[in-house]
Amino acid sequence: MAEHFSAFSFVDRITELEAGTRAKGQFAVPDGLPYFPACLVAEAVGQLAAWVAMHHAGFRRRPVAGLAGETRFLGEVTPGQCLDLEVEIESCDDEAVAYGGCARVAGAKVLDLSHCVGPMLPLEDFDAPEAVQGRFQVLRDGGAPSGGFRGVVPPELVVIDRRPGERVRAALHVPAAAPFFADHFPRRAVFPGTLLLDSQIRLARGLADELPRPGASPLVPARVTDVKIRSFIVPGQAIELEAQLSRVGDVVGATLTARSNGKQIATGRLELAPREVA
Amino acid sequence: MAQRDITKEEIQAVYPTVAQILADALGCDVDRVKLDASLIEDLDAESIDFLDLVFRLERAFKVKIPRGKIVEDARGDLPESDFEQKGLVTEVGLKRLREFLSEVPPERFRTPMKSADIPRLFTPETFCKVVVRAQRAAQGSP
Repeated sequence: MAEHFSAFSFVDRITELEAGTRAKGQFAVPDGLPYFPACLVAEAVGQLAAWVAMHHAGFRRRPVAGLAGETRFLGEVTPGQCLDLEVEIESCDDEAVAYGGCARVAGAKVLDLSHCVGPMLPLEDFDAPEAVQGRFQVLRDGGAPSGGFRGVVPPELVVIDRRPGERVRAALHVPAAAPFFADHFPRRAVFPGTLLLDSQIRLARGLADELPRPGASPLVPARVTDVKIRSFIVPGQAIELEAQLSRVGDVVGATLTARSNGKQIATGRLELAPREVA
Repeated sequence: MAQRDITKEEIQAVYPTVAQILADALGCDVDRVKLDASLIEDLDAESIDFLDLVFRLERAFKVKIPRGKIVEDARGDLPESDFEQKGLVTEVGLKRLREFLSEVPPERFRTPMKSADIPRLFTPETFCKVVVRAQRAAQGSP
């Protein structure tokens, strides 16, 4: 399966590993992509933590979705750059892994993650454990070839209603098929929480751009807190996103909610700040 | 060593912080968090919220709360097979639960009770007691 370990995999090598405790790794963002969303930098850090957790759990369990207490976006990442990833595992057992971490480009921190928790679920429900273990060895023994990730097409957002500068609701149709589903995950396709967050941020930015801010520099995501994914999102699922703005000085806050069939499936809070402050 | 009963004062000392953490974890107003509310039935908590809650409590109170601690403590020295059978809490197990979760209104203990439904009993006070016990454990007192 060509997409396995490439279509949605963001760790090329694990350069240092202290079992169950911390690790460093790398991911080369393929040149030639139109862009590389910040949410995928967070995904890369989360995937490194997942490798440490799976190794610690003897490849019986893996973290899937969960909570991200605080994500700080500190700099943009462009295609062709190499991410240096780092994670610290606070605790890891058969139920959950708690971790924090960061990503750097040429020594400068571009993203910081703290207070993240991933529920640990049976690995065999999502992937072939022996294949995952084999891939781990590849990542540890010199690494995998880079360039497997070919980008993702952001799902279209169709606005349902909006109060300009205040609140917007939009429909997101998760694609029924996409290359990343074969990697995330081969035995059970799950729409990645980081792609959901990317769509939520797009929606909130569009709304914030409508605020009257004469002469001010553009608003960019600075921080996301209390991200919680409550249930798996599957291929073809219809989701309703909502962003509601609040403003404190230069910083614009947005409450992000995703619902499906009336049930809240994901929540989070976003802070947008003028580019020079962010 | 037998555990000392947890006093109302001990509960009240941690309750404001526990209530705020619950409100943050569940994304609800702190006024909705009542000491005896069922987290699942009244406040719509799900399993991910319990995970969130435990990690938030650990950070806020600087204590360790092992996962599954409430049921494990309720069971105490009772063998697992005496506490639950075929996914159902036994009579003896239910007696232990009633004693351990004394803060839960008696009518909420339904029989038969599935083991998976035990978290339906949990209230904010249940988690106040978890915190107090963890604080005592950290200080080495019973």
